[in-house]
Amino acid sequence: MAGSVFVETPPRDAEIAVVGGGVAGMSTALFLARAGRDVVVLERGVPWGDASGANAGTLSLQVKRTEVLDLCKLSLDVWKRFGAEMDIDVGFGQPGGLRVATTEAEVAHLREYSEEQRQGGLEFEWMEGNQLRDMAPWLSTSVRAATFCREDAYSSPLLSGGALPAAVGKAGGRIVGHAEVTDLKREDGGYRIETKRGALRVKTLVITAGPWSGQLARMLDVALPIYVDVNMLSVTEPAPKILDRVITHIGGILSLKQLANGTILIGGGWQGRGRFAGMEKFADHVRLGQNLTTAVSVVPDLAKLRLVRTWAGYEAVAPDALPAFGRLPNNDGAYIAAAARGGFTFGPAQGLLISEMILDKPPSTPIGRFDPARLLTGAHA
Amino acid sequence: MRETDLLVVGAGAAGLSAASEAAKHGLAVTVLDDNLLPGGQYFRRLPTGYHHTHETVFDKERQRANALYATTGQKGITYLNDAVVWESPENGVLAFARGADSGRIRAKLTIIASGAHDRPAPFPGWTLPGVVTAGGLQNLLKGQRVIPGRRAIVAGNGPLVLLVGATLARAGAELREVVEAAPILKRLAGSIADLIAMPKIVRQAVDYRLAIMKSGARLRTGWTVIEARGADELEEVVLAPIDATGKVDRSRARAVKADLLVVGFGLMPSIELVRLLDCKLEWKPLRGGWVPVRGADFETSRPGVLAVGDGAGIGGVEMALREGKLAGVIAAERLGKLSRDQAANLKAPIQAEIAKVETFRRGLERLYAMPPAFLDLLTPETIVCRCEDVTAGELRARQDAGFGSTAALKGTTRTTMGRCQGRNCLRTLSALIAQASGQPIEQVTMPRPRLPARLVTIGDLLQEELPPIEMPKDPHLPRGERVS
Ligand SMILES: Cc1cc2nc3c(=O)[nH]c(=O)nc-3n(C[C@H](O)[C@H](O)[C@H](O)COP(=O)(O)OP(=O)(O)OC[C@H]3O[C@@H](n4cnc5c(N)ncnc54)[C@H](O)[C@@H]3O)c2cc1C
Ligand SMILES: Cc1cc2nc3c(=O)[nH]c(=O)nc-3n(C[C@H](O)[C@H](O)[C@H](O)COP(=O)(O)OP(=O)(O)OC[C@H]3O[C@@H](n4cnc5c(N)ncnc54)[C@H](O)[C@@H]3O)c2cc1C
Repeated sequence: MAGSVFVETPPRDAEIAVVGGGVAGMSTALFLARAGRDVVVLERGVPWGDASGANAGTLSLQVKRTEVLDLCKLSLDVWKRFGAEMDIDVGFGQPGGLRVATTEAEVAHLREYSEEQRQGGLEFEWMEGNQLRDMAPWLSTSVRAATFCREDAYSSPLLSGGALPAAVGKAGGRIVGHAEVTDLKREDGGYRIETKRGALRVKTLVITAGPWSGQLARMLDVALPIYVDVNMLSVTEPAPKILDRVITHIGGILSLKQLANGTILIGGGWQGRGRFAGMEKFADHVRLGQNLTTAVSVVPDLAKLRLVRTWAGYEAVAPDALPAFGRLPNNDGAYIAAAARGGFTFGPAQGLLISEMILDKPPSTPIGRFDPARLLTGAHA
Repeated sequence: MRETDLLVVGAGAAGLSAASEAAKHGLAVTVLDDNLLPGGQYFRRLPTGYHHTHETVFDKERQRANALYATTGQKGITYLNDAVVWESPENGVLAFARGADSGRIRAKLTIIASGAHDRPAPFPGWTLPGVVTAGGLQNLLKGQRVIPGRRAIVAGNGPLVLLVGATLARAGAELREVVEAAPILKRLAGSIADLIAMPKIVRQAVDYRLAIMKSGARLRTGWTVIEARGADELEEVVLAPIDATGKVDRSRARAVKADLLVVGFGLMPSIELVRLLDCKLEWKPLRGGWVPVRGADFETSRPGVLAVGDGAGIGGVEMALREGKLAGVIAAERLGKLSRDQAANLKAPIQAEIAKVETFRRGLERLYAMPPAFLDLLTPETIVCRCEDVTAGELRARQDAGFGSTAALKGTTRTTMGRCQGRNCLRTLSALIAQASGQPIEQVTMPRPRLPARLVTIGDLLQEELPPIEMPKDPHLPRGERVS
């Protein structure tokens, strides 16, 4: 196909294969291709076909645990550089975010939590009373206080899903769609990969298959515990400006933002129903109601809007909820970026850091605590 | 939660007939419909307090219409207007939005009579102000007695074209052209034997044609609209004949001045609810495309859920009335109000009438069958997705870049994701994918069904009483299943 960023079948040999074309895999491939390496992305369906295409695009620094603040800052920086330096339009915006508290207990919790984050290097402003109303007149009067973090941002799953694969192609990377990886084997100091579009041999292997990464690691005798959440997300009809910050909640599960087209995304990680086997994922009626109730309690004007769509998607999470990426244990030349709570936020940093490992460069931020070896279970631990 | 024996979704010809019949035999029936007034599409009526002076074609139907409206007050029937059924939280339960009265309803049996909507037919200029759909125009005429223009052209394919032409002529519009894409006059001889199974409709069609001729408008068959032109609103319409191979012959194109273009290329069943209920679908192009698979007794693949009327496959009002009535008998039998024999006696004459309508439909379908040539009309600038302003050129560029699947095109362009929930663009998107991949359209993957079935106001959804929110101890920690 002329102009296509995809190739029909994988080459027989390549230097590096990236398995899984979501934000983690495509970022990894981008940095490797830009460094002149021969990289092939093997994707089961189409890029962004899973969590990376279904998520809310919230890049909130202040909701992150202290342990991951540096990693998050790095990733925000990469998200910003995609557009600013690499001419890749990912729809990045940085309006800053408000994390709200609605009860006395929540206010106390927010103080304590944000103070701890300040120690970890987070910069924020404490907002209440008129200052808060002036900044966000659309907030409910039930919001008593909020922290404002200028660095909270968003990017567009829609735009990045077209732009990042195109950038990988432009940098010389190859992407094979509909090439589910069905087997992995160590062979002659490298890896032999079976896909539904043919087999290939590579020196270096990167597994970035979201929640399916555990199954792929198992093919190389590594047992990594990975969990999936079934996150729900809803979108309203387009409306004139209602809110202009990224909203999160200290005491309730909530994320809110209004997109450039006027629609408002309502989510935060409310759980839908479903099973991983068979790709069954549905919205849950009661929890959707609770999600909307929480949203309206913070931004009352939302009650007037109509709901256009609610959906559910998988998010892979490690048992300790910290990102898990780095060398695949016991497998030279293999790497994995399997799970991160808020993986859309962290994807670009994970990609950069894995590329740095492969390119033998010093890491842009320390990554020791994210080493997947910490999760090893069973016979190979 | 409300409870009912029989729940009917849709207060159109099919839904009201079903409700009336079922209630007659002693069932407690609840009818939910998202309009303010009962009647659905065909029997749409003027709001109370409105008066009009012009007779319309439709006024002849007053008797049947009044009988149908009256069923909403019939003993045993609870009719809830302005109620949008938006999802099924559990088996046998549907949730609806209705202001402060929003909630859920549990039923022993459910009949979906959701009707149809206009099939999108994009061509250059189809989104200009002044271009409206046939269904939309009928709604304006019936519901408001408004003609949104003066010099009118009607173009499309299917029986609504003649109907709309006649309606406009009688309502006093300056009708210029009525343009039917299928060569129906040439085909009439081959269809008439089936068509006369419904002599009343044939007479009606003759009347429509006379009304069009009398108005001085020109009736073209085997012609189609290929473009609508105008700076800010419609100024002229370009028409062209279709040759024997189904291709548009641009060399004979003609531009006609007009400020109203009514376009009707047929209807599509409203299947969002049956999809949410996970009912199996099948592709029946002559019935409007995707329709729920139905067993005997109209049951879908989801036990306890029946589908009737246009929502189960375009059959027109005569079919909808009779399928509804039959479904009412079926419901009464299944819920123990009629013995088998009683039910059989009631069913036989309705089934005989349905057989006649089926014969008529076969004739009609042969008469109007048309190869789908409209993709040839798309220029790169033609809008495919009106909600998100996505053009055919953008979609084709994405396809060329390798984003060829429904999911990839949706994900990278937002086509089908706007406020029409795909009603106005999914069919075109699927056709573009089918064209590029060489697959038949029915093999093109449909997007997953998503709630809500129709747009609902968030405030309404908060009326429902919910269990208290349970917060996870640490929202960062995983809450789902372990998968490796
Ligand atoms: C509804 C929802 C809302 C969310 N909101 C946010 C948010 O606001 N902010 C945030 O930071 N995070 C959010 N997340 C989480 C975030 O979306 C994910 O963590 C992130 O997208 C994961 O990216 P990934 O590249 O690791 O995995 P994925 O995007 O899941 O990509 C993995 C890819 O691997 C492919 N694959 C799987 N198996 C194979 C195989 N055998 N062979 C080849 N390919 C394979 C899949 O097809 C898929 O394309 C949300 C998640 C959901 C579901
Ligand atoms: C816009 C339009 C105009 C038409 N005008 C004519 C005409 O003038 N003459 C003609 O012969 N035929 C017309 N038709 C064809 C017409 O659909 C059928 O002849 C006839 O109305 C079919 O009856 P029905 O009961 O199956 O569906 P309908 O009459 O369409 O009734 C279905 C009802 O269900 C409601 N509904 C659907 N889903 C939900 C939901 N989730 N929640 C709540 N309510 C729901 C709909 O709003 C509607 O009121 C028209 C069709 C359309 C789409």
